[in-house]
Amino acid sequence: MADMAVSRFPEPAVLDKGWIPRGVSRCSTAQFLGWLSPWVALLLLGLYAGWMCLRDGLYHTNMDHRFVFGLWIFLDLAIIALGAGAFFSGFLFYILRWHEMGAVIRSAVVLGFLCYSGAVVVLMVDVGQPLRAWFTFWHPNTHSMLAEVTFCITCYLIVLSIEYLPLVLKNRKLSQIPSFLVFEFQLHKVMPVLAGVGTFLSFFHQGSLGGLFGVMYGRPFAYREGFGIWPATFFLFILSAIAAGPAFLMLTTWLTEKISGHRLVRGSVYRLMARTSGVLLTAYVFFKCVDTVIWLNSTSQQAGFRPWEFYAWAPFGSWVLFLEIVVLGLLPALILLRASEEGPRRWLLCGAALACAGIVVNRLVFTIQTLALPTLPFDEFRTYLPNWVEVATFLGVVAYAVIVYSLSFRYLTLFPQEKELARATARGPQQEEIHVSGR
Amino acid sequence: MFPGVSGFEWSVAHVIFLGAFFTVLVVILASLTAAAIRYLRAWRERRAAAIRWHAEFEELPPAERLCRHALTGTAPGRLCERGFDCRTCAEHPAFAAREAQGLVAVPNGIDHSPDRFYHRGHAWVEPQADGTVLVGMDELAERLAGPAATVELPPPGAVLDTHSIAWQVQREGAVARVLAPIAGRVEETGSREQGWLLRIRPEGKLDLRHLLHGPEVAAWFQSELERLQGLLAPAAVGPTLADGGLLVDDLPTAQPEADWDHIYSAMFLRP
Amino acid sequence: MAAQAKIPTPPPQKQRRYGMVIDLDRCTGCGACMTACAVENNVPSGPPEADERKGINLMRVFTVRERNSRRTAFIPILCMQCGDRTPCETVCPQQAVEVDPLTGIVEQMPQRCLGCRYCMAACPYQARTFNWWDPAWPAGMETTLNPGVAPRMRGVVEKCDLCHSRLHAAEDRAAAEGRRDLNPGEYVPACVEACPTQAIVFGDLADKASEVSRLAAQPESFRWLERLGTGPKVYYRTRRRWVRDLARQGGAAPNQEVTRG
Repeated sequence: MADMAVSRFPEPAVLDKGWIPRGVSRCSTAQFLGWLSPWVALLLLGLYAGWMCLRDGLYHTNMDHRFVFGLWIFLDLAIIALGAGAFFSGFLFYILRWHEMGAVIRSAVVLGFLCYSGAVVVLMVDVGQPLRAWFTFWHPNTHSMLAEVTFCITCYLIVLSIEYLPLVLKNRKLSQIPSFLVFEFQLHKVMPVLAGVGTFLSFFHQGSLGGLFGVMYGRPFAYREGFGIWPATFFLFILSAIAAGPAFLMLTTWLTEKISGHRLVRGSVYRLMARTSGVLLTAYVFFKCVDTVIWLNSTSQQAGFRPWEFYAWAPFGSWVLFLEIVVLGLLPALILLRASEEGPRRWLLCGAALACAGIVVNRLVFTIQTLALPTLPFDEFRTYLPNWVEVATFLGVVAYAVIVYSLSFRYLTLFPQEKELARATARGPQQEEIHVSGR
Repeated sequence: MFPGVSGFEWSVAHVIFLGAFFTVLVVILASLTAAAIRYLRAWRERRAAAIRWHAEFEELPPAERLCRHALTGTAPGRLCERGFDCRTCAEHPAFAAREAQGLVAVPNGIDHSPDRFYHRGHAWVEPQADGTVLVGMDELAERLAGPAATVELPPPGAVLDTHSIAWQVQREGAVARVLAPIAGRVEETGSREQGWLLRIRPEGKLDLRHLLHGPEVAAWFQSELERLQGLLAPAAVGPTLADGGLLVDDLPTAQPEADWDHIYSAMFLRP
Repeated sequence: MAAQAKIPTPPPQKQRRYGMVIDLDRCTGCGACMTACAVENNVPSGPPEADERKGINLMRVFTVRERNSRRTAFIPILCMQCGDRTPCETVCPQQAVEVDPLTGIVEQMPQRCLGCRYCMAACPYQARTFNWWDPAWPAGMETTLNPGVAPRMRGVVEKCDLCHSRLHAAEDRAAAEGRRDLNPGEYVPACVEACPTQAIVFGDLADKASEVSRLAAQPESFRWLERLGTGPKVYYRTRRRWVRDLARQGGAAPNQEVTRG
């Protein structure tokens, strides 16, 4: 990872140099285009698959009357949970004033924007009549969790776009335009208000996404009792999302460091995120256990279902429960808590990866396993595998996210500490922490 | 969504739900409107240059934002919070008073004049008897630019704000933009050969408290040399700068491998 | 709740709760009800790949065989018209599902449906279907369509509404004769009419004197998944104890073998 803020040898031919932030080095334009091209190919494939569904109908997918939610809804839930890093770090930075989170807040905003916009794009392919999406606003059923999700996600996407805008306007070339710079400056002034609104919205829709499943009293595998109008999953989804958010930020920051070959944030920021994630994950695992015990022993039995019935079908045996709560819940929580005190970074990242995987498995259980299990006593267990159209559409969204994030990383200042760290590395490692005292 | 639309009812759930939604929308719109109004006001009050400097100052790494009294050793590690404008700083007079006794200039091979007031962006101001001031680039800036560089000056009559971009120095492959040390109207342009670049009639009463003056200038130049050293270090193949040796006249020619775009931006405080 | 006082009713009609009792001992699994339902409701046959997973069937007949035994039961499943806490109605984000307060029929409005399919996930009976294809009929067959029922477009959810168009037609006839309320037997869904063994008895559960009320109250009658508390209005009856035992279980018991009609 040879890192040079100031190049040792003549600059590689960087055509777009004027757009790249000063004080950081980026690969040559050719290299960058080379990196982008496979993603662009994937994006085109995804657009084609999505277009097929929009043009002909959803029969191109492998979903059916039973698996009405497939790969798309499952991964939408997963990426929205992982994208919770955006609202949660905004909350920590603007509302609780944890200044250290400033090192990753911009990256978190971009990631949040990508996760949410990607999820909305997939949803628009997933619903049968996307042009009727506005009906939800016009005739909302206020008892429906999905109406709440739709309202909150739409508003939050607007907030995220407004939060993303200043980052774009701060680009080296764009900020040369005085009106952009002045507008960016004024927009920045109202950002704490928007961060507050974003926190409120995110809080509710992360919960409502869990509520989607928790309120389905027709599906005893998913149904949970709760407080007032909110089932227990409402609170568990919030808690798991804010536990996974910082973990996902750690992973993406680390991946960006590896791929770009630059140090982007200080080690202390990693540790802070790991500690936050670890504490929240521990709380989540605790409440998840309480919830599971109540659900298996009381809620589902009242509906006439006994616990073994849920886990009598391969491949969804009771090992899924063990995997979700212990291997991908308790274990990463302990690793994160331990490694945030001391220990090498690879343990932190290992814990973060396990925590993120745990959230993904949780969302898989609530979407796919819920639908796979029969409710009628003579009905059968079904399994489901997505076909290429579903996979390609989703990969297209991943490609979109990678492309926009790569462009943002190249042309915008996503990691404010990168410049300093580059200089410190150039000067020698012993001087690295010298500026910290000034903060 | 509204009374009268099919599906609307005056139930508690409906009113709370839609009330929350409309409140959120109103807050988002109000924030955007507030930003737009502030934007228009700033534009009308011609605060664009001030805002630019404010934004860019925030972006400067801590090493470039050290307080002038940190450079002299009076307030070690102290960072400036006010965009290098000591006229608004409450602590500055006390530090300055303490420094008035006992601060000794350290010779470091950079010429500077006791009549001149130095801006942190390497421009100087020299008050004249007729109420105007002369403005030019300091010794280090001249060497950073090298004799081959051309200077683009604002035309007479142009109005400059403090910290706005005063002039531009161009050489092959890199451009340096130098910040105006004071606010005022350009009366006359000079040239590098004349030793000054602009004659400016200052706005209002001449107040130079934000500029470096006296023995602290030497301390500042010393730290600037160290900073330059750091910027050049990875590329430095020739003799290093501050080993008591003299600074070469034409740094870009002496160090062609260095990233001059980056060095200019760092030395002239333009992130 | 959400669906109250929606339909203006100048002449107050009698409040009804339409429901049915299906006698499983009479059901032979012939599938006439399914066919009659598809014909009545203009359900397109769909392309060849529209199998049981994706094809539209508002009514399905399950064949349940007990393993290690020769006992077989045929179980027709349609929308159960849940009346207490209708699972599909509360989840729909845009009020495309309504329980008609006058008739108790759970109505799906395809013209307002977004196709999000949340209602399908919430339905414990999987009695809802999604239009994966554009509706299409073989050339010439469109002349045989029922003019009283609008075909549903691609991308929306549909389900049994107890042949709602037949209710309207019956009400229109009654109004023409100056009657406010319907006579028993004046309105029956297509499946009830088509059943060759008369296994389905249809009527008003709110009318204690009706046959459907009488049958529903008998000890041989039961409802599927009663403990979920959704108040289904479709009852089943059988004298066979093992079938009634099935209903006491919650989810599927792995000792049953299932095929579908």
